[in-house]
Amino acid sequence: MATTDGDSATASQRLDKDTRERLVTAVRHTILLMWSFIVLFPLYWLASMSLKPPGTANSLPPDWIFLPTVYNYIQLFQDSGFVGAFANSLIMVSASVVLVLLIGVPAAYVLSRYDIPMERDVLVWILSSRMLPPIAVVLPFFIIFQEFNLFDTRIGMVLMYVSINLSLVVWVMKAFFDGIPETLEEAARVDGATQFQGFRKVVLPAAKPGIFSVAIISFIFAWIELLFGLVLTSFEAVPVTLFVYSFIGSRSIEWGMLAAASTAMIVPVVIFLIAVNKYLAAGLSFGVVIKE
Amino acid sequence: MSTPTQTETASKSTFARLSALWNEYLPYWFIAPMVLVMVSITFFPGAYDLYLSLIAEPTLDVFAADFVGLSNFETAFTRGGAVHSFVITITVVASALLLETALGFILAALVAGVGSSRTKSFYRVLFIIPMAVAPVSLATIGRIMLNTEIGIIPYVISTGTPFAAPNFLSDVPLLTVILLDAWNWTPFMFIIFYAGLSSVPKTLIEASRVDGAPMWRRYVHVIIPYMKPVVFVATLIRMIDLFRTFGVVYGLTGGGPGTATQLVSINIYEQMFINNQIGVAAAIAVVYLVFVIAIANIVIAKVGFEGVWD
Repeated sequence: MATTDGDSATASQRLDKDTRERLVTAVRHTILLMWSFIVLFPLYWLASMSLKPPGTANSLPPDWIFLPTVYNYIQLFQDSGFVGAFANSLIMVSASVVLVLLIGVPAAYVLSRYDIPMERDVLVWILSSRMLPPIAVVLPFFIIFQEFNLFDTRIGMVLMYVSINLSLVVWVMKAFFDGIPETLEEAARVDGATQFQGFRKVVLPAAKPGIFSVAIISFIFAWIELLFGLVLTSFEAVPVTLFVYSFIGSRSIEWGMLAAASTAMIVPVVIFLIAVNKYLAAGLSFGVVIKE
Repeated sequence: MSTPTQTETASKSTFARLSALWNEYLPYWFIAPMVLVMVSITFFPGAYDLYLSLIAEPTLDVFAADFVGLSNFETAFTRGGAVHSFVITITVVASALLLETALGFILAALVAGVGSSRTKSFYRVLFIIPMAVAPVSLATIGRIMLNTEIGIIPYVISTGTPFAAPNFLSDVPLLTVILLDAWNWTPFMFIIFYAGLSSVPKTLIEASRVDGAPMWRRYVHVIIPYMKPVVFVATLIRMIDLFRTFGVVYGLTGGGPGTATQLVSINIYEQMFINNQIGVAAAIAVVYLVFVIAIANIVIAKVGFEGVWD
């Protein structure tokens, strides 16, 4: 069968093939570079707008060359509203990540290791919680929150962030635990460890990369969430997303400050993403990919 | 491993007994909080939405509620713009899903085929960056770059080509929303497809190469069938998330102009918080919940979960 490749090809055919391959490579890189430009240019544009001196931010034709200034950022960080909202988001989102891991990781472990009745249905049910559009969920919680004094509190927002990410944590971590051989904890049990010790001292360390990546992904999903903040907060527990939207909503938009605020929101997440890019595929694909 | 005798058990301290209880029922302790949270975020809102949709005014006292039957649903679908918002939502979800799947796959295949691993990881890191962009920042980018007066894109189109730039936010608002979402979330499809492509066994690809199959046939007959579960999960997850779209549209057009980009989620929000029509909002929410869960379940049943996690 294998006669067309290599030795039987004449020199001219081989030359043809080389040119063709070089052409394919060139096209490949052209497309990839074009996409790189599509990815980077909007981010560059946003960042450059945030660094332009006031009054020149929106001039057309654009000032391609300008002296960058941090004026907009100084303005932004002098605004106590932004700093407060940024801190609010950091606190609420971090707390929610800790809580969602405490709830989700042990549950995923059980789903992975024990025979659960109707396990498939349970997993689909967990996934279905992600199918609930937040707008449909937030309505009942809006009324309940007001009744139970959770409205506009950080605790209330933390609970809502947990609700966004729990299904994700359970699914991703179940896949990770599936990939860790059970013999590991069995060996620990033989050595006299209790079931819990086996989990804590053997399984958890082995699942560290998974926990790490799912924590970051949960952080991002909570960090970019808008709707819950919009509906369930008014002053005390306002997240940074909501604060930035309030810029857009105002009648005369201060483009420079809006750009600065939007950039400031992206930067921490970009750093996180690049740091975990190795684990990201496994984390996001709910275990399908890492299973061989 | 020895099991404790009766007397040993009886002489244990309270702490030891508690710890035995903890270990004996470990799976239950481990799973109980998750079940509690899940029940309260799935069954509870669904039931409460249904309740709100059937009453005149929200009240915490279920028995004091003034039931109005299906009139909220009627209002929603006759005067509430529910039909229109469903059509818009389905349009956006289907177009964006198609675009992102195709683009994501092509990019993943291109990057996977690049020779050096350094170049590969360079593209990989670069291409996932848009995922870091929150809807609010995306709406900002859209507003800045597409604005007819200050936007760079209309400026480039108008000065660089013989065409007049459209007003992206009022002439083609739906297309703008779809394209922005594709910019934001194609990376999600890309990274999953890339990981999937890297997991295709080399021997499979080699075999088809030796057979002299052209590249496209290799994809159609070997690689894509092998990746079916990956494509399926990625598409399902992305579809579910697309139905949640709110922030970018809220920030970009606020549902407008008129109701041109009024997704279901925007419609529910407006009914509830602008028109104060809580019952109507809840009625649309109920229909939306049933609709999204039904679609997802149809997809799950059609494609099948076998081979995905078992």
